[in-house]
Amino acid sequence: MHIMEGFLPPLHAAAWTAVSVPFLVIGARRIARISREQPRAKLLLASAGAFAFVLSALKIPSVTGSCSHPTGTGLGAVLFGPSVMAVLGAIVLLFQALLLAHGGLTTLGANIFSMAIVGPWVAYGCFRLARPLGLGVAVFFAAMLGNLATYLVTTGQLALAFPDPVSGFAGALTKFGGIFALTQIPLAVIEGLLTVVVVNLLVQYSRDDLNEVGFDRRSGLGPELGSAGRA
Amino acid sequence: MPGRPAPLPMLPIDRYAWSNRWSGHHPGERILLVGGLLLLAVILPPLSTAPLVLIVMTAATVLSAGVPLAAFLRTLAIPAGFLLAGLPFLAMSLDFSAGPRLAFSADGARVALDVGLRSLAAMSCLAGLALTTPVSELIPGLRRVGVPQPVVEIALLMYRLLFVVTGQAIAGRRAQEARLGYGSLRRSIRSLGVLAATLFGRSLARARRLEIGLAARGFEGELKVLTPPRVLSTTRMAAAGATLILVGATGLALGRFLP
Repeated sequence: MHIMEGFLPPLHAAAWTAVSVPFLVIGARRIARISREQPRAKLLLASAGAFAFVLSALKIPSVTGSCSHPTGTGLGAVLFGPSVMAVLGAIVLLFQALLLAHGGLTTLGANIFSMAIVGPWVAYGCFRLARPLGLGVAVFFAAMLGNLATYLVTTGQLALAFPDPVSGFAGALTKFGGIFALTQIPLAVIEGLLTVVVVNLLVQYSRDDLNEVGFDRRSGLGPELGSAGRA
Repeated sequence: MPGRPAPLPMLPIDRYAWSNRWSGHHPGERILLVGGLLLLAVILPPLSTAPLVLIVMTAATVLSAGVPLAAFLRTLAIPAGFLLAGLPFLAMSLDFSAGPRLAFSADGARVALDVGLRSLAAMSCLAGLALTTPVSELIPGLRRVGVPQPVVEIALLMYRLLFVVTGQAIAGRRAQEARLGYGSLRRSIRSLGVLAATLFGRSLARARRLEIGLAARGFEGELKVLTPPRVLSTTRMAAAGATLILVGATGLALGRFLP
């Protein structure tokens, strides 16, 4: 779902960067405040970021036999919160460009907007909305819809940049959307299931780690393993 | 493969970034050259400028920095493959007026050509920068564009930690594969979930150990690191500037003769 280097026209690249900057500023301020209050938070956030980078590089199996990568937006947003995730996601995307030649520098703003801002916020919103239905359900919808939202935004970005010569934006949206819809919906479901497995394991075995990143507050689970933990 | 140790988690791009002929130079020189070429590739008409940028960037990386041509092409191959797969969709148009109909469009083909050239040239710049400059030398530069100090420190730490986590991920994956953990879709999801959960726990454990180690050395919230002193070479800056002017002027001049 990365838009590759140089693919977007210069104006679009600049505009998406401008849209992403305010979110990054808010996230960076929050990180600066957290690390002033708690110097150790820096180490925690760096580990979280390294984890996010590796997570995005893991191949997930797909029904068609081909492999793809999880966006990790759902897990990241649920574990670390969406505003911090914007900054961590931006760093991960920068590293992917510089270490894996995946994505790009001119398209960094557009990719940050879809993968580090919209994806995590949609995932977090779904998580909070679906939380009363149970932890597993909430995590599933957060990860699945976060993944789909990311992909829809990328599609929209491409359609805006390259409207169809005959049918304009709507045609381009159908054209770009149609290509991925077949592969992307099963992948989103798989990412949803995968994230449920991860969160269930963490709730069961790594309660302290979850408390440390503030997951207990965000999920309303409470600091101790109680009856709510199995919900 | 019994007895073989887990591979050293090293990314090919990172290896060349640390070992090319430019790695002793001031990173600012490379940022001027590559950043300038990238900008030219993106804003000037692609048909005339993009091939120039591609040639100059390849020559600079391979001849001057001494990165093997094969490594440069390998780095370009994957994104270029995605690019080639995506371009046909730009050249086609979807018409709803008489039922949905997909047809070749001349306007679209022109856009596809421009985008393809621009993107390929820009990718060569990204590959050139990535193959000649370690990430840890670029990150401190983020400070100059207004990124707050704590975020820069986190990014630097992330760069150092991600190889450790990658090593654990490779070892874990191999152990799971040896136990047929990826035999079916259902098992694959379960195995991958276990792997991710384990990596999360280990990452945090590492953070705690780092904290203890740093606290023992008087950590008060700022991570101070030594960066080797590098002098900005006037000659090389001038050469980079001259290259940019030459490429820009030639691109513009050629652009007049091309459609």
